[in-house]
Amino acid sequence: MENSDLLKVQNFSLSYRTRKGDVEAVNNISFDLKKGETLAIVGESGCGKSSLARGLIRLFPRNIKKVEGKILLDGKDVLFLDEETFRREIRWREISMVFQGAMNSLNPVLKVVFQVAEPLMVHFGMDKESAFKRAKEVLGLVGISSAFAERYPFELSGGMKQRVVIAMALITNPKLVLLDEPTSALDIITQENIMNLLKMLKKELNLTYIFITHDIALTSELADRMAVMYAGEIVEISPVEDFYKNPSHVYTRLLLDSVPTLRGDKSLKSIPGSPPSLIDPPSGCRFHPRCPLVMDICKVKEPPSYKIKEGHFAKCYLNEGR
Amino acid sequence: MNNELLRVEELKVWFDIKKGLFSRPLYVKAVDGVNFALNIGESVSLVGESGSGKTTLGKTILRLYRPTSGKIIFDGKDISNSDSKDMKWYRRETGLVQQDPFGALPPHFNIYRILEEPLIIHNIGNRSERRDMIYRALEEVKLTPVEDFAPKYPHMLSGGQMQRVVIARALIMRPKLVVADEPVSMLDASVRVEILELLKSMQDRHKTSLIYITHDLATVRMFTHWIFIMYAGEIVERALTKELLANPLHPYTNALLNAIPDPDPENRNVLKEVPPGEPPDLVNPPIGCRFAPRCSQSKDICFKERPPELEIRDKHWVKCWLYS
Repeated sequence: MENSDLLKVQNFSLSYRTRKGDVEAVNNISFDLKKGETLAIVGESGCGKSSLARGLIRLFPRNIKKVEGKILLDGKDVLFLDEETFRREIRWREISMVFQGAMNSLNPVLKVVFQVAEPLMVHFGMDKESAFKRAKEVLGLVGISSAFAERYPFELSGGMKQRVVIAMALITNPKLVLLDEPTSALDIITQENIMNLLKMLKKELNLTYIFITHDIALTSELADRMAVMYAGEIVEISPVEDFYKNPSHVYTRLLLDSVPTLRGDKSLKSIPGSPPSLIDPPSGCRFHPRCPLVMDICKVKEPPSYKIKEGHFAKCYLNEGR
Repeated sequence: MNNELLRVEELKVWFDIKKGLFSRPLYVKAVDGVNFALNIGESVSLVGESGSGKTTLGKTILRLYRPTSGKIIFDGKDISNSDSKDMKWYRRETGLVQQDPFGALPPHFNIYRILEEPLIIHNIGNRSERRDMIYRALEEVKLTPVEDFAPKYPHMLSGGQMQRVVIARALIMRPKLVVADEPVSMLDASVRVEILELLKSMQDRHKTSLIYITHDLATVRMFTHWIFIMYAGEIVERALTKELLANPLHPYTNALLNAIPDPDPENRNVLKEVPPGEPPDLVNPPIGCRFAPRCSQSKDICFKERPPELEIRDKHWVKCWLYS
């Protein structure tokens, strides 16, 4: 199996124009992703994780102000490719996405098989018959029998609709699938069913995922590596084992302390304060106003990315000289 | 002996979706035969998937819905069919914390006015006494300095702060019973713990009984005395929290517990055992045990007869043929 980088993101920044000022939703983010690997991006709401995902597939909102950096897919910079080429060759063909709450966005008047087959007809110019055949195959793969393929969305349960949405993201054989809170509207048992499905697909199709969620316990079901986002920045990125064993940013540690677990006797802690406004983020380390271990330097100077070990970086001064 | 606050007997709440004059009427059997008792100051977590009837049960206990049959006995009085005149005292003894703080607060009232409203309705205190009560309530939910918060309007607050106002409003009458319906599901993970701790401390301080409705078993562990597990309109298992987590008996409880992800990176390498399918349609629920079609241990009888509710261990009831 090849072990090359599928995706390389370098110094990626996004900002939006609003009436109150410019929002720096994504600030100078770099990471890479190998084929077959899953990166989970966790953070509180408003930390920019969905902006990042939408940025990767270049679905910018209208009030976009600034786009900077590089996104290399298989070595090719796709961030500044012209829109028509990106739409035809990259979006959905190479990178697809499962949107948050997408199961509620299925078209109510079209049969699900048609909705799944649509990208094949649009992007590949396939005729209806073979597109439907392939759509039924993929629906079978995600556990929807052909009897249900001929039904309308309202006839399906929430879990089944979510499976349909996943089938839509897989139908074009993309290399990279972005999952934005793929289970957030589902019940716990249904959620586990979907996680099982995603796990199985990853293995069978050697898929590469970027998995975005606020639910840390859930990431353990899928992630090989973890990225923690805070106020538009990745403050720590690490292999998943180190995320639990050696969290090196104060925010990561506090986040881990706030995860409720059923087993074990851990007492829960909350993180005081709330995330900062991204219109005028705090100086220095963006977490310093909420950090219990804040030092003078944190308030004035942005911390560099400290290398803890191979593949493990944290933006926190406490790692100085460790 | 009697410090029982609430007793629910064979409670049924059916909603009619089709009235029948000549044809058979159709009902959604949202709550179908629920029994339990709760002592003063005790708290219970009502856990179940969406559509299991947990919100309907909570709202019926507050008499926001009228039960189809069965009894709700609060403080020795049967309130299951009292009309609204007799209900005023009951409204005073109970409080509700809604799921969605963004929709629960009237946008054109400031916080002071929102908290004053129940006091005015129930004719409590004069102007300055009310003021003291409101300030004390705000202090208790840690919206300080109170002088700053009182004149604010809901849209000026964050989600967590709004939920604190909702809690303050539910508790300002010092009710004996509070129903909190998914009070943290709309909030960020870092704020959730804070709100839950606040609810718990209020409950400890004022000996308020609390019914905490949630789908998230992971948050209930250190929170309430009891756990009731609901499935398809029934309480399938109920026990003290520790006992239930240590000795889950019902296959559905086991499935729920299993489904909760533990933060362990090993998880990604294994597939979990999860019951297939979805909860049943409550218009035509299965004849026997309602979980039988999804249950890996079901026997013949499970499909034919509804299992009785039995106390298998001390204060541990379960509705399952495996134990009968």
